[in-house]
Amino acid sequence: MNRRTFVRTVAGSAVAISVPNVFATSPLPGPVEGLDRASFQKLADVALSAAKRLGASYADLRVCRYQNQSVHTREERVEGIDESTDFGFGVRALVDGTWGFSSSNDLSEKRVGEVTQAAVGIAKANRVLQKQPIELEKLPGYQDEWIMPMKINPFSVSIENKVSLLLAVNEAARKAGANFCNSGMNFVWEEKHFASSYGSLLYQSRVRSFPRFNVTVVDKSTGRFTTRRSLAAPRGSGYEYVRDYELVREAEEAAHQAQEKLKARTVEPGKRDLVIHPTNLWLTIHESIGHPCELDRALGYEANFAGTSFVTTNRLGKLRYGSEFITIEGDRTQKGGLATVGYDDDGVRTKGAEFNIITKGLFTNYEMAVGQAKMIDRKKSNGCSFADSWDTFPIQRMPNISLKPGREKISIDQLISDVKDGIYIIGDGSWSIDQQRYNFQFGGQVFYEIKNGKIGQMLRDVAYQGNTVDFWNSCDGICGQDEYHLGGAFNCGKGQPQQIAPVSHGAVPARFRKVNVLNTDRKDI
Amino acid sequence: MIISEVEAKRITDKVLALSKADSCTVTLGGHARTHLRFALNGVTTDGEQDDLTLSVTSSFGTRTGSARTNEFSDAALAKVVRKAEEIARLARPDPEFVPPYGPQQYLPGQSWFDATAKSTPASMATATRPVLDLATQKEVTAAGFFNVGQSCSAMATSKGLFAFDRSTGALFTVSARTSDGTGAGWAGVNHHDIGRLAPATLGRRAIEKTVDSRGPIPLEPGKYLVLLEPSAVCDLLSSFVGRAEARSADEGRSFFSKKGGGNKLEEKLFPDSVNVYSDPHDSIAPGSIYSSHGLPARRRNWIENGTLKDLMYSPYWAKKSNREAVPAPTNIVMQGGSATQDELIASVKRGILVTRFWYIREVDPRTLLLTGLTRDGTFLIENGKIVRPVKNFRFNESPVAMLNNIEAMGQSVRALGGEGAGMPVSVPPLLVRDFTFSSLSDAV
Repeated sequence: MNRRTFVRTVAGSAVAISVPNVFATSPLPGPVEGLDRASFQKLADVALSAAKRLGASYADLRVCRYQNQSVHTREERVEGIDESTDFGFGVRALVDGTWGFSSSNDLSEKRVGEVTQAAVGIAKANRVLQKQPIELEKLPGYQDEWIMPMKINPFSVSIENKVSLLLAVNEAARKAGANFCNSGMNFVWEEKHFASSYGSLLYQSRVRSFPRFNVTVVDKSTGRFTTRRSLAAPRGSGYEYVRDYELVREAEEAAHQAQEKLKARTVEPGKRDLVIHPTNLWLTIHESIGHPCELDRALGYEANFAGTSFVTTNRLGKLRYGSEFITIEGDRTQKGGLATVGYDDDGVRTKGAEFNIITKGLFTNYEMAVGQAKMIDRKKSNGCSFADSWDTFPIQRMPNISLKPGREKISIDQLISDVKDGIYIIGDGSWSIDQQRYNFQFGGQVFYEIKNGKIGQMLRDVAYQGNTVDFWNSCDGICGQDEYHLGGAFNCGKGQPQQIAPVSHGAVPARFRKVNVLNTDRKDI
Repeated sequence: MIISEVEAKRITDKVLALSKADSCTVTLGGHARTHLRFALNGVTTDGEQDDLTLSVTSSFGTRTGSARTNEFSDAALAKVVRKAEEIARLARPDPEFVPPYGPQQYLPGQSWFDATAKSTPASMATATRPVLDLATQKEVTAAGFFNVGQSCSAMATSKGLFAFDRSTGALFTVSARTSDGTGAGWAGVNHHDIGRLAPATLGRRAIEKTVDSRGPIPLEPGKYLVLLEPSAVCDLLSSFVGRAEARSADEGRSFFSKKGGGNKLEEKLFPDSVNVYSDPHDSIAPGSIYSSHGLPARRRNWIENGTLKDLMYSPYWAKKSNREAVPAPTNIVMQGGSATQDELIASVKRGILVTRFWYIREVDPRTLLLTGLTRDGTFLIENGKIVRPVKNFRFNESPVAMLNNIEAMGQSVRALGGEGAGMPVSVPPLLVRDFTFSSLSDAV
């Protein structure tokens, strides 16, 4: 195994891949086409005044535009190039403590008025079902603009350039022994105008970039096959992230690893010590800390679908969630974070709203949207509201949630050196967790045996399964800032109708003791 | 936004007329939906969604590009066509290019019900109220989702294909929890016809399960005889059918690959009693009348008397394999037996009843091994009776094993999986031996 190469790949490199100077012209995103601040103000006046006239105690208007681009290839072929725009608005109105929401893709003053009326109408139809009227905390009104800093707007980079890179990835993988290689890139440019009856008038613009590949190695004689996915994370970054990530080199490495995995020894199940790389640990943080610490889940608002949480409100400030090495921060301000934004979809300013969810192992705060803070005797929410589209209702979603690096400069080798019998896990694989977030099972991309403090041969068929609190309390070592890596997901699902949210999770490699390891090879099928 | 067939034809004709490409495919997709969410026995959020999307795929020779928009002004239509063509010109020649299809024959659609289309926020609130009242009366906490809407879709090609379909849909799911937090139950289903939804009945079933599931006991993980209710069967069977695709099988990277090369078509995989098919005119779970590439949906047997009879074939792979293209199914039906669920329970000496599964993920594509958890009503059956609630389990099991280990099956009914609505599904409850529960979960 070439762990050093791997780490360098994941961390990115200053050495750029071969990229022409097409990046010289890369205009930063500007306001929604045809909708300047004055025009939006006019529409906001229509919505907010109508809502007030019809009896709403609070209302907001969001106008959103999304531009998406995807490029997909396999082997020597371009499978598809797709570009889309999606545009519309939603009005939210609170009437007698009951929410109403409506939306349309027709942004005329007339339609804004009709949709506002519909939002109020739904609230009035449903208030007969209201048991606990919603009360919002008063928020400051902001007139502001927030544009994500980036160097290269991905939409200014030519398609040919993107295709060339992806085909180079596929070629590198196949030359290195892969039978198949699928690769792709997705880019999203999200723009939001927001106005609320609290006096906010906001414009925000941000971009997401996600390069990736998946190599497959097949042995038809035995009927076995294996894959190795790219470790590249989606990021709230411009194309400079794609440019600087060594995707071609990682593809070559992945092809070698997939071949090795196909012939690797199957794992012996049992209790083992684990050293988990951030390319895997980010997802464990997401599922076993990010979700259970959502206040709406803990209160029961998501009981029908996403579930509730073992982290009940009486455990706030008391639950020993993890060992003293575990401090978990929630933020929407981290550079490159997929949840990073200036204001959340309730109009809460995110700068200064950063908070610790877990402080040295102790559970210290929930993620909250507006109206929830008083339920746990806090004065204000912490900027965690998000709607994935103009036609969806903003609900509490994760900020970037990250494991803070240790203060000491500890390397992965040092973590591994204190393991007699364990497994080193890289990359995220299959993942599943129960509806209250106790019992989880996670796979990975690459697994190495650790024997007497040294990395040994590759293993296959590995999954680790555990109980959230036991797992995080079994952590007895983490690396320092030098090993920090920002992972994340484009598509975290929650809510009904289901909404997807982009979110990042930073972490450093961490060591866990006596974790239950499963063998996932099913020999009878 | 819901548009008529005439309006859809007008838009697709207009877009095709703007096309300068050698070939062009235009698709439209619209919806208008109203939803209501409730939790803690009261309404939480609600809303209306209304959209229409246009997608254009243009090809010059074998170079192809696609663009989408949800704006419909003349300028926006021209812009999206130009965008698709601009991408196509920049694209590379595609060795797997297959031109769009010409005119096709479609069955008439059977998925539209006026009663569903006429539903209003007020009628939805009225139908929900008895569920919340019963929850309050039984001192449990209910949460749920009611979603009612209409959708339409159209596809047209420069070769003369035109397809249009529309449907209505109503979904109601409800879960409840006991005040001590030890019991939980769920019921839910979706129908095209809101008249078949019966929210009050679903609410009563969920609440009864909740009360009965209070104070579960732990059982040792291991292999059990399980009675999988239709929701649980729906999730596992959908995973199986969704992966029944020829190319990945022929390439040696799927459960459907044959050792040594090729695929498992015509192999006897399961007992004679297993029959799985698609049929857009199924009376319980009708599907859309057309599928990918505008190909007509028609009755198609995936598993017939236990033998694999069909796999999905993309137009390119079909041509290469000298077979007909087989589009993705638009519904899934598993033939059932005649037994009621109570009769199935009565036949069990010792087993576990599973209401639904949750967080199902693939662990190994070679064996279709899945992991996930039981949720919202897991009970021990002994000597033909449900005797007590048990703690939830994590399973590591394959739908292949499920279909091979069927002991008995009930009547096929409309079913909704635990992770949301996919295509319409009709499946029976299944009694399955040797189902693998690998660990216990404390979750309720």
